[in-house]
Amino acid sequence: MSSTAQEGIPGFSVDVDHNPYLPEGSGTVDAIVSITVGSDTAVDAAPTERVEAIIVDCSTSMLKPAGKFDGAKRATAAAIDELSDGTYFIVVAGTASAAPVYPLDGVPTRASAATKAEAARVVDGLWPNGGTAMGTWLAYVRDIVGQYPGALTHAILLTDGKDEHETPEQLQQEIALSVGRFTCDCRGVGTAWRVDELRSISSALMGTVDIVADADDLAEDFAAMMRTSMGKSIPDLTLRVWTPAGATVEFVKQVAPTVEDLTHRRVEVSGQIGEYSLGSWGAEDRDYHVQVAVEPAAAGKEKLAARMTVVAGDQVLGQGLVNALWTAEVALSARINRRVAHYTGQAELADAVQQGLAARRDGDVATATAKLQRAMELAVESGNDDKVAELGKVIDVDERTGTARLKREVAAADEMALDARSTKTARVRKENPA
Amino acid sequence: MTGAPGTCSACAAPVGASDRFCEGCGGPLFEVPRPIFDRVAIPRPVALEGPCADCGNEVFSDGYCTGCGHRRAAPDRDEAKLGAMALVTDRGLLHSRNEDAAAAGTVTGVPGRLEAFAVVVCDGVSTSGEPQVASAAASKAGVEGMLVELADAGATHAAVVAGLAAATRAAADAATGLDPQNAPSCTYTGAAVVSKGQGAVEITVGNVGDSRAYWLPEPPGLARQLTLDDSVSQELMTAGAAPDSELVQRGAHTITRWLGADSEAQPWADSSVQTLTVTGPGTLLLCSDGLWNYLPEAADIARFCSGVDPAAAARALTDFAIQAGGNDNITVAVIPIGANT
Repeated sequence: MSSTAQEGIPGFSVDVDHNPYLPEGSGTVDAIVSITVGSDTAVDAAPTERVEAIIVDCSTSMLKPAGKFDGAKRATAAAIDELSDGTYFIVVAGTASAAPVYPLDGVPTRASAATKAEAARVVDGLWPNGGTAMGTWLAYVRDIVGQYPGALTHAILLTDGKDEHETPEQLQQEIALSVGRFTCDCRGVGTAWRVDELRSISSALMGTVDIVADADDLAEDFAAMMRTSMGKSIPDLTLRVWTPAGATVEFVKQVAPTVEDLTHRRVEVSGQIGEYSLGSWGAEDRDYHVQVAVEPAAAGKEKLAARMTVVAGDQVLGQGLVNALWTAEVALSARINRRVAHYTGQAELADAVQQGLAARRDGDVATATAKLQRAMELAVESGNDDKVAELGKVIDVDERTGTARLKREVAAADEMALDARSTKTARVRKENPA
Repeated sequence: MTGAPGTCSACAAPVGASDRFCEGCGGPLFEVPRPIFDRVAIPRPVALEGPCADCGNEVFSDGYCTGCGHRRAAPDRDEAKLGAMALVTDRGLLHSRNEDAAAAGTVTGVPGRLEAFAVVVCDGVSTSGEPQVASAAASKAGVEGMLVELADAGATHAAVVAGLAAATRAAADAATGLDPQNAPSCTYTGAAVVSKGQGAVEITVGNVGDSRAYWLPEPPGLARQLTLDDSVSQELMTAGAAPDSELVQRGAHTITRWLGADSEAQPWADSSVQTLTVTGPGTLLLCSDGLWNYLPEAADIARFCSGVDPAAAARALTDFAIQAGGNDNITVAVIPIGANT
């Protein structure tokens, strides 16, 4: 079953790609669910307002090396420049606490030629002085966006260092309180910040994370992030998963454009229905890998293993059906769906990169070599060329013998880039309908 | 046929009370006997109401039970009786749906003629798209075509040809709205039976594909297959190949003729239609290859039918095929002929 007709929602689709055939006695169903929102897709609960917060790290370390803070200020101005007229925005200085930069009273103002120019001028006059407590920054933005229920809310968080002036527990608590309140894209400048720290924020708040090693490159990156945010039109899509009595959802993972495990984010609606927030959407498509364990049935029987309904507010936008057909014909049941295989590999690749780098930091050369070599294999197999290039900076694999050796000299920025981008996946073409 | 007193029911012209024909239109003013048609067809469409057969839940969505998720499916087996005839069709064990179909009909009430009946078994070609649509349409249309001809003229050969033609059109029409590259197609085996009086019965069978008709007389008569398969292996055997040769075995399920949008305009050969007149009691049996794969010899099938109630015989044969592996859909039509009815 590849897809179901969607009526009435232009540009929107839910497609299911899977091998529905199962051998007798088996009940594990894997499916790739692709959700597409078109530029012409309009939903009933379209937001009336946008709220943007730009959090600039103003810790004292931003002074060194020279040019870092100037880069951050130029980047902030570049992001402001991308704001659509009428968007509420605020610039926040992040230190051991958070303080408004523009508007000074801490109340977001609407973007216009005048306010944008004034904000850029104020930002230009900033001077870094203080510590780093990212949890307080999130709390500050959370309070502000809370004033705009139903709005599209987004923040850009820039830091150059570790979270120091609060406990890790405090940071995790603030992250948890912010889930679902706003989207947060995180950027680390330089190499003195921690990838796992920013990833814990961006992952929970459904944003992106990346390293910008050179502050001169920040402006372009900030502008792109803000453009993407301005392209969002739906504050939150929800994936509602129905499963038959006795079935278990083993996992729900976003697998493209990045790997993000949503399994633990399930909100129980009833015994057979759980909901997963998919965050804010513009015109884009994302792929999800869903695995459901159902009670096996006799050969020849068919059952619905999962109904994947995509909802915006109270409006059902579309659905995909994941069926299961039991058969005694091994030729049918043994076939592995190409996209399921591809994304299973991409998820393993992300894990292998992260585990390999962690082992490398811990000095466990054997584990690091094995994991990163496996990652290289998976990257090559799946045609993930970016990943092959990034991995090539930390590990050498002899093409003839297959022997792998960790590179002795690895630039910190290269290692962090590999780590921060580990969850980015290569796409695979949709299966041609049979 | 009776209109208002004093007028013709066909043209409303005034007529006399003792007139036998209308002065106006010439039509009869007495009750004209009309043929009575009775028909059955299996498998019947999936019930769209009622609780889930698996868990008893009442609510369905997109054809799936909202409780246990099972698809609302046709029962594995469907049976029908019409007069003394018995039809059984079964999904078997391996196929996910039943693509076979069977239909039967009788004509009675034609003055001066004994009962006539028509039976068809079709087997959907599983490599085509939605073949069950073709087999259901062809089996019903074939019976209908035969019944009309039997009521009209009472000749079995003409009836079988009329049934083939009607079924050919119906199978081609079944492709409407479906992928033309993969048009639904099916086999067809039809029989028309007319009692000729004094124990003589005329039977004509016609077939396209590899479903079969057998004549199974009561002992000591010799049971035999009436139809020739339109299959690669049959063509090889006709050309002299040994029945147990590898080539013949390999071609057993490759059919050379079928009904469907992509078949020839007249997919049957003149030799595909055979008439015989029998005088003793016995059983006419039609079946799909889901049965004869496991019981290729007529004599072996005959043993299930001799002296047995037709419905019981049809069930026993179907059960045998399932116990032997149930590799394909199984359809059996048992038509008792002569004294054992």
